[in-house]
Amino acid sequence: MRLVGSAITTAVLILGFAAIAQQTGPGGSQPPAGPPPSESPPANGSQPQVDESALRYFASQGDTRRVNAEIARLRALYPNWTPPSDLSQLSAGAAAPPDPIIERLWNLYREDRIAEVRAAIAERQASDSNWKPPEELVAALETVEARRRLVNASDSGQWQTVLSVATEAPGLLTCTNVDVLWRVAEAFARTDQPTRTRDVYTYLLTNCANPAERLATLQKALTLLPEQQVADLLQFERRTGDAPDDFGSIRDELARRRVERASLDSKMTASAEDLAAVERLIRNTNEAGPVLILGWYNYHHGNPARALELFKTALDRDGGAKAAEGYAMSLRALERLTEAEAFAYEWRERAPENMKVYLDIATALLSQDPPPRLEARVVARIVPVVTAQRFADAAQALGWYSYNTQQIRTARDWFRTALNWKPEDEPSAYGLALSTQRLNERAAFNAIVAQWRERSQRIADLADAANPRSGRRSAPVQPRAEMEAAPRQAAIEIEQPLVRTEEAVRRRQSEARSVLGRSCAMTRNPAGLSGDAALTRGWCLMEINRPLEAVAAFDRAIATGSGRVREEAAYGKSLAYLRKNLTSEAAVAAAEAPQTRSRQVELGASILTQRALAAYRDKRYVETLLALSERARLVPEQNDLLLIRGWSYFNLGRYKDAERVFRAVQQTGYSEEAGVGLNAIREATDQASP
Amino acid sequence: MTFRVSRRALLLPWLIAMLSFVMVMSASSQNLSVQPLKIAGTVSSADWEAYRSRFVEDSGRVVDTANGNISHSEGQGYGLLLALAASDRRSFEQIWNFTFTELLIRDDGLAVWKWDPEAKPRVTDRNNATDGDLLIAYALAKAGEFWQEPRYTAAARKLAKAIGKNTFGHSGRSRVLLPGANGFGAGDRPDGPVVNLSYWVFEAFPVMAALAPEYEWNRVWRDGVLLLQQAASGRVRLPADWLSLQSGLQPKPADGFPPEFGYNSLRIPLYLLRAGMTDLEWLRALKQRWSAENEGVAVVNVVTGQAREQLADQGYAMLHAALACALDGTPVPAALRTFELSLYYPSTLYLLAKSLLGEKYPQCVSSAAP
Repeated sequence: MRLVGSAITTAVLILGFAAIAQQTGPGGSQPPAGPPPSESPPANGSQPQVDESALRYFASQGDTRRVNAEIARLRALYPNWTPPSDLSQLSAGAAAPPDPIIERLWNLYREDRIAEVRAAIAERQASDSNWKPPEELVAALETVEARRRLVNASDSGQWQTVLSVATEAPGLLTCTNVDVLWRVAEAFARTDQPTRTRDVYTYLLTNCANPAERLATLQKALTLLPEQQVADLLQFERRTGDAPDDFGSIRDELARRRVERASLDSKMTASAEDLAAVERLIRNTNEAGPVLILGWYNYHHGNPARALELFKTALDRDGGAKAAEGYAMSLRALERLTEAEAFAYEWRERAPENMKVYLDIATALLSQDPPPRLEARVVARIVPVVTAQRFADAAQALGWYSYNTQQIRTARDWFRTALNWKPEDEPSAYGLALSTQRLNERAAFNAIVAQWRERSQRIADLADAANPRSGRRSAPVQPRAEMEAAPRQAAIEIEQPLVRTEEAVRRRQSEARSVLGRSCAMTRNPAGLSGDAALTRGWCLMEINRPLEAVAAFDRAIATGSGRVREEAAYGKSLAYLRKNLTSEAAVAAAEAPQTRSRQVELGASILTQRALAAYRDKRYVETLLALSERARLVPEQNDLLLIRGWSYFNLGRYKDAERVFRAVQQTGYSEEAGVGLNAIREATDQASP
Repeated sequence: MTFRVSRRALLLPWLIAMLSFVMVMSASSQNLSVQPLKIAGTVSSADWEAYRSRFVEDSGRVVDTANGNISHSEGQGYGLLLALAASDRRSFEQIWNFTFTELLIRDDGLAVWKWDPEAKPRVTDRNNATDGDLLIAYALAKAGEFWQEPRYTAAARKLAKAIGKNTFGHSGRSRVLLPGANGFGAGDRPDGPVVNLSYWVFEAFPVMAALAPEYEWNRVWRDGVLLLQQAASGRVRLPADWLSLQSGLQPKPADGFPPEFGYNSLRIPLYLLRAGMTDLEWLRALKQRWSAENEGVAVVNVVTGQAREQLADQGYAMLHAALACALDGTPVPAALRTFELSLYYPSTLYLLAKSLLGEKYPQCVSSAAP
């Protein structure tokens, strides 16, 4: 009897089922194992070519038994195949009349009514115990039942059953039952036998011809096997013949995975080829997935600008929280912290990672050096989030921010809060020590020192410097020069000097922002803009806190605009420089166009305030006093600046002047801070004249 | 104490087991006996044909018509048992084919319990239900013997071993039948082990013990009877369907289940009668309660004693009639003599009871009876 070539080759030998390996085909002659791929039967789409010649031959001979046997065999091989309808004509005039029950059983079998075939056999045997069903039919039934059990078991994750059924019915493991082979492969993988899984796929790719099934095999391998093994399977790609393979999508997927792995590890680099594959995926789909991968790759490989673009694309492709996380982190990496904070704030509730990023960015924003000048509303929205999340690092950052903006009591409270949330946080403890010392809160200062001096040298040093007589070095009275090393800082809460100014232009800025929308955030050359447009753009850039770019826009407005525009642009430009603490540039800008008297005063006062504060921070007390005096000629000196003046005198050793200033402040209500100054003077003069 | 055994020769392991059982039970005043049922030929072809055409599909699937037309291992087990009772080899083979290919797919050799024609995959709960497994194995064993079919006997043996291996649990010093291989043991839930007394298909135990003698069938069986006596010793004298054995042999209603003597437990007296265990005092009390003058057959809250739902179907009334017949020789009332199809479950109970009466108590159903 003729066999249908390699199609009937079962996977038993290769799969290690050799012990029970049997040929399902009747006649049982062993086909050559593993014929070369080129000899595989040609595949015609997904419908295999069924060789019916033997069937027709038996039919023409009137050999019903063999006809039925052949039908059974072909049915087992090709579940979707139906026998030709013209067989009865071929067998017309044949000798033996067919057994009617056999006919009926085969009909039921063809209709897949397996339980009824079994029932009819049982019924017939009950009435005639000598009757036996055709062996071929029994074999065919067993094959169908085995396939059902195997499929059901695999659908329910019963992998041992899958393997035991396959072992007992090796005839199932042929290229005509690729689905069964896939399920057996998965069962091996799910029972920790990946090598066997690979063997099944290897068998399939070596012997089975259908290109769609071959590709699907690799897709399944991707979900079950380590990537290297999948890559090894690519060698079976058939590049020639009637139906060549195209495993390109598998190669792309492997490349995508390699880039994905490298995307989170800055020490791993992806090959240019792999990166190109991901770029191709980005172009050919609308998925956010590959964009995100490339975004993270760039982020972790020193290209945050490109990462930012990619995350923007991912956001446009509904990449969601993950894209937002990347976008915010890229902004941060680009040191565009103000934008990063505003963006991350909007996304903070989307996922825990987004909240984490927001808190990190807020912390970074607050911790910039030199200390930034933040809009009140930004600080105001950071605070409740930090409080709700009990995020100690941001609390500490709020402490330093307050401290550096001379809001010492607020700083003290934040450091205390940070310590509550993270009791072992030395920097917060140091901040608390500094603030309590500045506030002259002896008990609190001593408490924190007592708690930390064994663990923190700098806190111990702080205590020793504050109280030299208890210092470890039995040094005599510290000379004044050395006191300068840790100069008395003003325990003053200074208003942000520009708040009033910003109030005046806020409306202008936010109008510009709403006119331009998101486009104002895009870096572009203002050359070519009209004066009005450049002005609007300048204000818009001020609104999103990119003052240096605003300067360029204002310059354009000054160059091309009308008188009114030029005046406003010059004003804006000096505000922009003030934001960056570039007071000289601000002063020059203010003079670029005539200003109204009130704006002259406003700008001048702002510039001088910043100069005074900057000089004071740098301990250039003489310059501080000069700037303050100049400012006082324009506008009355407010209490916080008076205190700066007082401390400048103090640090210059001009105690009488300092005392006069502090007393004046004390009378207007800033008694506590003034009191600190007066105490300091008393201490200093006591030391100076023992 | 009396101890009646069947006149049939008993297998040696069974005899040994029974002797140990007697020794344990000597402390109790309870008298028990086991009389194997023949089963085959005890349901008329008319009754079976009515049942089969309503509840059994051509694929061999037994359909629970009150339960979204799903199938389950219990239904397949009952279907096999009733096909055997009707001596319907054809239907038995059909039902077995479905059971084998669709349900007997678990790695541990037990049957998945739930199959839903509307779902994909059809198996919607791959856990087993031990009563379903027991019923299937028992029906296969009896059919293999009756029809001399080694395929059935081999399948019965395989399943019996799987039951013994995977569903016997410990509760203190007793051995219990867990309702499923997973999820009911002492470590699986806070109130575990949890058992269901109606899963003890008492008549199946000796048959299982012969097929898989390496497991402690007789001890599980005996401890089941003890548990039943414990659980029925409260004020209401009814066990809850689901019992927590967390505190040893002092069973309490299990968490998450209504504390009810419900549809599950209704079967317990039927199983006892079918196993020939008619001497349990509890059956007498139950017969009283179930009589028409009293409460009738009902779902009862075992804490308050209140009946939540009266069960009027023929199949439930038949349970009381069988008790009255077995304990007092009361003939089955005329209204219950003719099978009226209802839903799957009461119809099944009816035929199981009628099969028993036909085999063991023909006088209660003979035409000569009033």
